[in-house]
Formats: sequence, C-alpha cells, structure tokens
Amino acid sequence: MHDVSALSPESRTNVKPNPTHFRLVLDVRQSLPAWKQALFLAGSLAVGLAISVAILAVAGISPIQLGSELIGVFNADSLRAVLVQAAPLMLVGLGASIAFRIGFWNLGLEGQMLFGGIFAAAVSIYQIGPPETRLLLMGVASAIGGALWCLLAGFLKINFRVNEIIATLLLNYVAVYFLFHLLYGAWQDARSAFPQSTPFKPFERLSDLGFGINSGLLVSVAAITAAAWLVHFSRVGFYMRVISANRSMAKVVGVPIQTVTLWIVAISGACAGIAGFVNVASQEGRLTQSFANGYVFSGVLIAFLSRNDPIAVAVVGFLIAVLFITGQTLQVFYQIPFTMVQLIEAIIVMSVASSEFFVRHRVRWIR
Amino acid sequence: MTAFLINWLASAPTNAVPYALAALGLIISERAGVLNLTAEGLMLVGALAGIGTCLTLGGYPAVALVVAMVAASVVSLLFAGLVVVLRVNQVIAGLSIVFFCQGLTGLIGTIANWQNKQVAGLGHLAIWPLSEIPVIGRIFFMQDAVAYLTILIFFAVNWWLSSTLTGLRTRSVGENPAAADAAGISVSWYRVLAIVLGSSLIGLAGGYISVVNVKLWVTDMTGGRGWIAVALVVFARWAPWPALAGALLFGCIEAIIPHIAAAGIRVPQYLMMMTPYLATIAVMMWVGATQRTGTSEPGALGQPHVREERR
Repeated sequence: MHDVSALSPESRTNVKPNPTHFRLVLDVRQSLPAWKQALFLAGSLAVGLAISVAILAVAGISPIQLGSELIGVFNADSLRAVLVQAAPLMLVGLGASIAFRIGFWNLGLEGQMLFGGIFAAAVSIYQIGPPETRLLLMGVASAIGGALWCLLAGFLKINFRVNEIIATLLLNYVAVYFLFHLLYGAWQDARSAFPQSTPFKPFERLSDLGFGINSGLLVSVAAITAAAWLVHFSRVGFYMRVISANRSMAKVVGVPIQTVTLWIVAISGACAGIAGFVNVASQEGRLTQSFANGYVFSGVLIAFLSRNDPIAVAVVGFLIAVLFITGQTLQVFYQIPFTMVQLIEAIIVMSVASSEFFVRHRVRWIR
Repeated sequence: MTAFLINWLASAPTNAVPYALAALGLIISERAGVLNLTAEGLMLVGALAGIGTCLTLGGYPAVALVVAMVAASVVSLLFAGLVVVLRVNQVIAGLSIVFFCQGLTGLIGTIANWQNKQVAGLGHLAIWPLSEIPVIGRIFFMQDAVAYLTILIFFAVNWWLSSTLTGLRTRSVGENPAAADAAGISVSWYRVLAIVLGSSLIGLAGGYISVVNVKLWVTDMTGGRGWIAVALVVFARWAPWPALAGALLFGCIEAIIPHIAAAGIRVPQYLMMMTPYLATIAVMMWVGATQRTGTSEPGALGQPHVREERR
C-alpha cells in the first residue's frame, strides 16, 4: 500500500514559508568600499579590545586603573621603554610578514631569535674581532644564526616535504633547550647564581642615541626600509607576488621558486635573529633565559594586522610595544602574569580575522 | 639491565596516553576536513581544568578528567565558530586558539593559585592474575585505568569512523563537502560535532598529563606535546591505529629520559630533553621521504565550505 498522504496538498503546508519565521541569508559581496572595510576593521578591533578589558576587569583591574596605566605609558621614561621594546617587535613582525608573503608559515621566530642571541653572545664571549667592529660583527653573526635556524626548516620543507608549521614550532623547543644547555653549563656567569652569561662589555651593547631613541630602533627602521624596497620595488619582490598569486603559473613562466623561497626563508630568519641580537644587546645586556619569550605570536599578530606590508609592520610593532610595556607594568604592580599579553593578542587576531567574514559576505535576516 | 628495561617500558604507556588521545582527537576533526592545530592549547585547558577540579574538590580524579574533557570542548566551540561559521583561515584560527589558551590558563592558574600544588592522582590498576606474570605483567597489566580506557576509546572511534552512518558522513564531509552537502548532509553541523568530540579527547589528554602523570600544574606544562600530536596525525596518515603505534613510540622516547639519568649514565640533561622534538622531525622526514603527497590526506582538509561560493 502506497502512502498517498505524501502526495496530498496538506503535506506541502510545511514547505510554505512561515510568516513569523526569520532566517539568515548569506550573500557573497562582489566588492566593498575601502571606508566600509576600514569600518569593519575598526569595529572588530573595538570588540576585541572590549573583550580584553572585560577579562582584565574580571582578573581584578578596573577599566579606570587600566586607562591610567595606559596613559602612564606616554610619559618620557615609559615612552623610551616602548621605543626600546618596539625594535625587536618590528624585526620579528618583519620576519614573519616576509615569510607569510610567499606562504611559508615561519612560526619559529622564537628559536631564530634565540639562535641570533646565541651567535651574537658567542662573538662577545670568544672576543672575536677588535673592539671597534665587535658590535657590527655581533649583528652579522646574529643574522647568520637566525637565518641558518630558519633555513633548516626551509630545507626540511623542500627536501623532505616536512610541514614548516610543525618543523618551525618544534625547532623552537630545540633552541630553548640548547640555550638552557649553554646557560646552565659552559656559558654561565661564574659570579652569578642565575642562568645567564657574563654581561657584555660597554662597546658590545647597543647605545642610546639620545631623545629616547636606542640604536636598536635604527637597526629595525633600516631593516624595514630595506624590506619595503625588496617587497615593493625589487625583482625578488615581483617574484614573490607571482608565487603567492599562482604557484603553478610561476613555475610555468620560469620563476625560480626554490631559490626565491630559500632566500626569503633566510631573510625571515635573519630578521628574527637580529631581533634576538637587539634584545640581548640593548635590554638585557647579556644572554638570559627568557629574552625571546612571547615573540612568536607577537610576530604572527604584527604580520597579520599589517597585512604583510613592511611599513605597516612599523606602526603595528609600535602599538604592540605599548601593549608589552603595559603588560610589564601590570605584572609588576598587579601580579597579572605576562601571558596576559598573549591572551589579548590572540583575542585581537580572532576578532580581526572574524571581521573579514563580514567584509566578504553580506548577512541578512529575511522572512 | 633487565630491571632498567622493565622500568622503562612499564612507564612508557603513561607517557604515550596523552599523545594517543590528542592525536585521536585531532584525527576525528581532521577527518571532517578541519585542519586542527589547537591541540597544544586545548591540552593546556584540560590540564588546568583537571587540576583545578582536583584541588577544589580535594580528590576525585575521575571527575577531574571529565571536567577536563568538558572544558576543552567548550573552548573548542570558539574554534568551531571561527572556522566553521566565520570561515577564518584554519591555520590562523588554530594558532590564535593555542595562544589564547596559553594566556588564559596562565592567567587563571596564577590568579587561582593552583601552581605547583600536589594532587593525589589516579593509582595503578593491577589486573590481578595477569599482573603476576613476570616481565609482561608489570608492563601491560599494571597501568592506570585511563591507559586501559584509551584502548577502548581507540576501538570505539575506529568502529565509529569506519562502520557507522554518522562516522561515514563525517568522513564524507572531510573528503568532499560539496558532494556531502548535495546529498543532504549538514557540513557545518558535522564539522562542529567532529571538532567538539575530538576536542574532548584532547582535553582528556591534557587532564591526564596534569592529574594522572605529573600530579601538579605549572604554566605551559604540555611543553609542545600538542604539536607532536599534530605531527603524529600526519605520520599515522589520519588513521587511528597507526596513531596509537606512533604514540607508543613517543611514549617510549619520552619515558627513557628520566631513566637514563636515574641509571647514572652521564648525558647532558638539556640535550637529552630535545629528543622528543628531534625524533618528531626525524619521523616527519621519514614520512616525507616515503609517502607520496596527498594520498591519504582528507580531500578537503583545511578548506572552508561556503555553499554560496560553490562553483
């Protein structure tokens, strides 16, 4: 016996639109004016910051206290600290953004920073070269250290097809344990109970140039200028755009994909290595245990928010430096752990990434 | 020498369980087509939730493990919302979740003052007549309850993925979401469920580390085990049983580190601690050298499904 009721008109009533029933409809936008995109970006940033402020409020810092701490950052002393902090952050962000431009997920920024610092410290500890050129030699050594550590992941990707996300992240842990091996062993300062190297001599440190500007900042500004030229005006930059736009097309027209990738990977690692050098030679003044803590995700965040543009990296790097210094203040005065900075960074990335959905799609309620 | 071997192999399962559970959780969500990098963060959430429950209730490790599962599932809803509903790049979303969880657990653990507080944990369960067998009894039949449970979970998940309707649908969503969608399967719901289900296992893995294995909590205590689990999934070619084998391998590697020091062999301590990470890279190199690309990877891994953008 067939079920005739399925064909009867009554059964179709549930297909009829219910007048009180709303539903979400998604359209793909063809384009969106720039000011609207900026509006969405600003809105999502505001949402992210609001969530962060709310979490801080739950953790015991009222928004008023937070506001006064933030304004406090803009006095002379703190601004100097911000500028010192901005230098490594810009370099790390630059390293991340250059690698992301050709789709190489370099998440080993921390390990590359550590190796940059270790190579620079090696030049200082073994007293290589005359005092006049020592600092320059330390900088070069740090770039080589960072580049080599990053090239290892690039080599694994090209020759063994090891996913660079996993390789770079795991190499971070290897680098940390190598640093511990040195600092709890051969390189430990004999006069110190802490795991740290002997302090650098005055001529081995990045000096203050006056007006609160540390020479580390000059290094990072120079690197950003060079990277901006590389990315926007050089032949390699053009190759990078072709590779990221269409890999197989690039291969067909004869772009040297492998060579460009390896060079970019090396440059990315070198930026992070120099960031390590800047950190040990300006802020710390010696090799310490934790001079690269919290930089991996900062680099990712800076690259993501700046849309991999070197000039924007400088601006975002400065803002993240403000966040870092505020985080340090909160740590000292309110016992809020420094991982708070990472939490806020993650919230900002999530909210900004979500905003792209609304840039690309139009969401409507229809009846 | 025999004593050394037995001690080492008897402690290997305890080290292998977190890898096995986390890798299995990742396999479930990646079989549904969601590239999942969140393991490291969700394990931290599980670890903190487990220890927090233990300290608050004063014991009850079983309850703590369940709470760890629930906590990780709840946080994974955020990840599901980002990648399934808002179609955020799955690498960016996964990384943000990891660092979000690192920050969150560091904050909560410090404020609640759960750092370095010892808990009783879970005792070993001797399966009586078998546990009396000389060598084998110590290694195979004197483990904790979760280790045995892990085997059962593997049987269950393997059966679910290969032989049930929902399991097959989950896999179809991961292989070809457009076809699954046309066949009337809700891609979004299956992906969300796969993420939440997988994350509960990842949470259990984290809770196991803090409550059963280490028996206390410190910041960032998973120490990269989540990333190793991500690598294990590739090594296992997205299949449960090879993941268990890989987890046992890494359990053995991790377990030998303290035993070498205890046996009085002088090796630089910190270089020894690199071995799990270097071994992971070596395994990945072996996989890359022997496996053809894309043969066993879920077809739509990492690709968001947007019906409106279907071409």
